[in-house]
Amino acid sequence: MSRIIMGIESSCDETGVGLVRLAANGTVELLADEVASSVDQHARFGGVVPEVASRAHLEAMVPTVRRAFATAGLSMSAVDAVAVTAGPGLAGALLVGVSAAKAYAAALDVPLYGVNHLAGHIAVDTLQHGPLPEPCLALLVSGGHTQLLRVDDIAGKITEIGSTVDDAAGEAYDKVARLLDLPYPGGPPIDKAAREGDPNAIAFPRGMTGPRDAKFDFSFSGLKTAVARWVEAAQARGEEVPVPDVAASFQEAVADVLTAKAVRAATESGIGTLVISGGVAANSRLSGLAADRCAEAGIELRVPRPRLCTDNGAMIAALGAHVVAAGCAPSPLHLSANPALPVSTVTVS
Amino acid sequence: MSIELPTADETVRFGQSLGRVLRAGDLVLLAGPLGAGKTTMTRGIAEGMGVSGRVSSPTFVLARVHPAGPDGVPLVHVDAYRLGGDLGQLDDLDLDTELEDAAVVVEWGEGVAERLSADHLVVRMDRRPDDVRVVDLEPHGTWTERAPLVSDQRG
Repeated sequence: MSRIIMGIESSCDETGVGLVRLAANGTVELLADEVASSVDQHARFGGVVPEVASRAHLEAMVPTVRRAFATAGLSMSAVDAVAVTAGPGLAGALLVGVSAAKAYAAALDVPLYGVNHLAGHIAVDTLQHGPLPEPCLALLVSGGHTQLLRVDDIAGKITEIGSTVDDAAGEAYDKVARLLDLPYPGGPPIDKAAREGDPNAIAFPRGMTGPRDAKFDFSFSGLKTAVARWVEAAQARGEEVPVPDVAASFQEAVADVLTAKAVRAATESGIGTLVISGGVAANSRLSGLAADRCAEAGIELRVPRPRLCTDNGAMIAALGAHVVAAGCAPSPLHLSANPALPVSTVTVS
Repeated sequence: MSIELPTADETVRFGQSLGRVLRAGDLVLLAGPLGAGKTTMTRGIAEGMGVSGRVSSPTFVLARVHPAGPDGVPLVHVDAYRLGGDLGQLDDLDLDTELEDAAVVVEWGEGVAERLSADHLVVRMDRRPDDVRVVDLEPHGTWTERAPLVSDQRG
């Protein structure tokens, strides 16, 4: 007997609705993955406004749900469980998704699962590459998160072994892009400019790699400052800033630290699989260097396709399917959103 | 009066002395360019206040609430970098905290957040070419009398 799981995501800018089929043998198949983004509306206001994000989720929710069912060719009554991002994220944005999920679960009389956004970023890989070997290691890199996680059980046991002590990797990209007069978000334009540049042109610092630094934590604030200092010095000398070289050297510093620490963590704990997910996973140098270093260390590398790496509803539906398959208890209908939900809580009880 | 902070540790220590005098309803604006040390300063403020939770850049999440320690008040750490130019009220941030019961520290808030309260302290930070951070305190309203307390705390 197969079951249909609906997933709802609204933790930040994207309103995502995904539908998956959980087969009796535990495999999870993607049926629909619809996303509406409020990024254009934020551009109109010149920045992110939480109120605007919440309102945009509210307006997009029902149309996005309808599109997902149309794409999957299913009627709503086919749904066997509803999963929703309970956190972490923006409070008002999360609330819209949680409220919608409760309403659908109550109306359809099916169980509700409030799940962790970060765990969703890992679970989504199973839609492309099949079941996750456990334990595995996950490197989560996005605009808001930079974390190294040990996954013993995607439905229940995830442990943080390192995270950023200051800026997220994606945030460093955005800020360096601004320094170089490149557009927001900064990842794609820096990646593009870097292709024309020399990654060894400038020796930017590798944060948190000293002998007394936490082995698996990250820091990108000093790198950002070093880039700012280098650009200012060039401008003070009246030189034109060599954007491709700065972009390539910055990107090399980010990819070097991320992959070195991830591979070291896997090797030291005898873990044979590394999953890299989150928006920054789409970066060509990060995935390229990770592939080289994993091959050298004999580690299997799994990077979901870019569409699955960014925020979407499919990742929440996929996580929901694993939670249902594991027989976890559903969340109560008085479930509330938790903007600071720790990654150790996969399902909110 | 400019204060020179040659290392990140000293920026943290300065933040601690500021954090020790903060109370409910206080508004502190941290001004300065990328890499001036605003988040590092906030880490010190959090330590001085005794609040819990790791301080990291709130740019992406816009604001983070750090629960109060045993005898203190919560810290709301806001980053206006990605906010649209109009932060009319902190209520617009959709925070799950009563702001009058917390101390609020806003990075990139200059020109955006001062209208929230006439009583506020601007901490202007800059990074010199030799990497020393230079801090100027600019008190407004009741902070005119309280700003010297920060120096007293530094002892």
